Amino acid sequence: MSRDPLVVGHVVGDVLDSFTKSASLRVLYNNKELTNGSELKPSAVVHEPRVEIGGRDMRTLYTLVMVDPDAPSPSNPTKREHLHWLVTDIPETTNSSFGNEIVGYESPRPTAGIHRFVFVLFRQEVRQTIYAPGWRQNFNTRDFAALYNLGPPVAAMYFNCQRENGCGGRRYQPVSGWT
Amino acid sequence: MWSSGLDNHSNNKTNNIDNGNSGHGGGSRIISSSSSSRSSPSSTSSILLRTPRRRTMEEVWKDINLTSLHHERRFAPLPEPHHHHHHHHHRAMILQDFLSGPCFTVSRANAAVEDIPLPPPPPLLPPTALSLSSGRELQYLGGGGGGGGGSALMNGHSRSSSNSNGSRVHGQANNNDNNARSGPFMSPSFSDAVIGPSSPAGFFSFCSKKRVMPEGPGIGGDRRYKRMIKNRESAARSRARKQAYTNELELEVAHLLEENAKLKKQLEELRLAMDAQLPNRIALKRSSSAPF
Repeated sequence: MSRDPLVVGHVVGDVLDSFTKSASLRVLYNNKELTNGSELKPSAVVHEPRVEIGGRDMRTLYTLVMVDPDAPSPSNPTKREHLHWLVTDIPETTNSSFGNEIVGYESPRPTAGIHRFVFVLFRQEVRQTIYAPGWRQNFNTRDFAALYNLGPPVAAMYFNCQRENGCGGRRYQPVSGWT
Repeated sequence: MWSSGLDNHSNNKTNNIDNGNSGHGGGSRIISSSSSSRSSPSSTSSILLRTPRRRTMEEVWKDINLTSLHHERRFAPLPEPHHHHHHHHHRAMILQDFLSGPCFTVSRANAAVEDIPLPPPPPLLPPTALSLSSGRELQYLGGGGGGGGGSALMNGHSRSSSNSNGSRVHGQANNNDNNARSGPFMSPSFSDAVIGPSSPAGFFSFCSKKRVMPEGPGIGGDRRYKRMIKNRESAARSRARKQAYTNELELEVAHLLEENAKLKKQLEELRLAMDAQLPNRIALKRSSSAPF
């Protein structure tokens, strides 16, 4: 019975397979470090975060994936996973701004329910070319890693996010005009 | 389960109306069955089981069908089936809604004995409520006041549920007797308890605020079941979310405490090292800089 938040929150299972953390990952939104499993408002995650990869060897490159496994809603995740961001060739000790942004950052805007947004870090063995998928939805992180021989993830983090004013429940009706 | 059961009842009732003829023949039967039905709920008062309730209701339904009331209702045979169906529909809705409502009473065939038109009894309720039958039936009966009466009943019932059953029955019986003579009525004792919408339409919408009109037997229950499953999953997700965050915080606290201890220790060691290594005080020293 693992107490790892990634397991308890079913990130391991829905998005990833079990792995051992072997890299240092820090995600900072507005200069504030993200706590795994915490909840953020959409207004706080509008812009891309600063993702810092700790370590010593600048020659090691990493790929970062950000997905939403609860698209369009956690009870009905037909579009699992929705790809929000894809950055490759990030050198160790630096941050995401030093990598290649293959798929641009899309601000999380959950409409129904409380979504998880997962950051997954892979260690690249070589500098490789990764192609952007044709569309963002129904992305599969496992398949993606297998396709590019990225191996198991080396680090992962996630946060929860729901509609700005709450009430993304069953009776959610999109309201035009005021929010 | 309830909705399908109720619809069966309503179907049975319609059939019975078409088939049964005399009210008198069943009169004595009514009394006996009513007494038996009355006794059964009290015996099961401590047990809230669906099966016994259904039996009781079936008995009551039969009683109602056999009463002279239906006999009287026969006067307008043509609109009757539609009328009954309409009523059944109303009642089915009330029944289903009451299933999730506060308290109900099963109407006793008691009142049915006295030539009073009895609508199908309200949906089955906790056995303690069963004793309040007859008054409710009368309440429901009041034609246009049916909706208001229903809501009054609900309210009155919720108030009276805590009262002792025996006394209430008597009070009800008295009211019923009085009301029976006066045609369509709304029991004055209940009128002040009306809270919900007074119109029948309002009442039904009030009852079914969470659900659309049931489309048929079994579908309402199935939808409810699915909804329950979804709710369970959502609750499980919510618990997982909470637990995951708590775990993360605990891990972080442990990590931070460890780091803090380590850093403090390091600080102490460094201080000691510094003290040991700096014997020379920075003091004024003499130096000669004069040219001579």
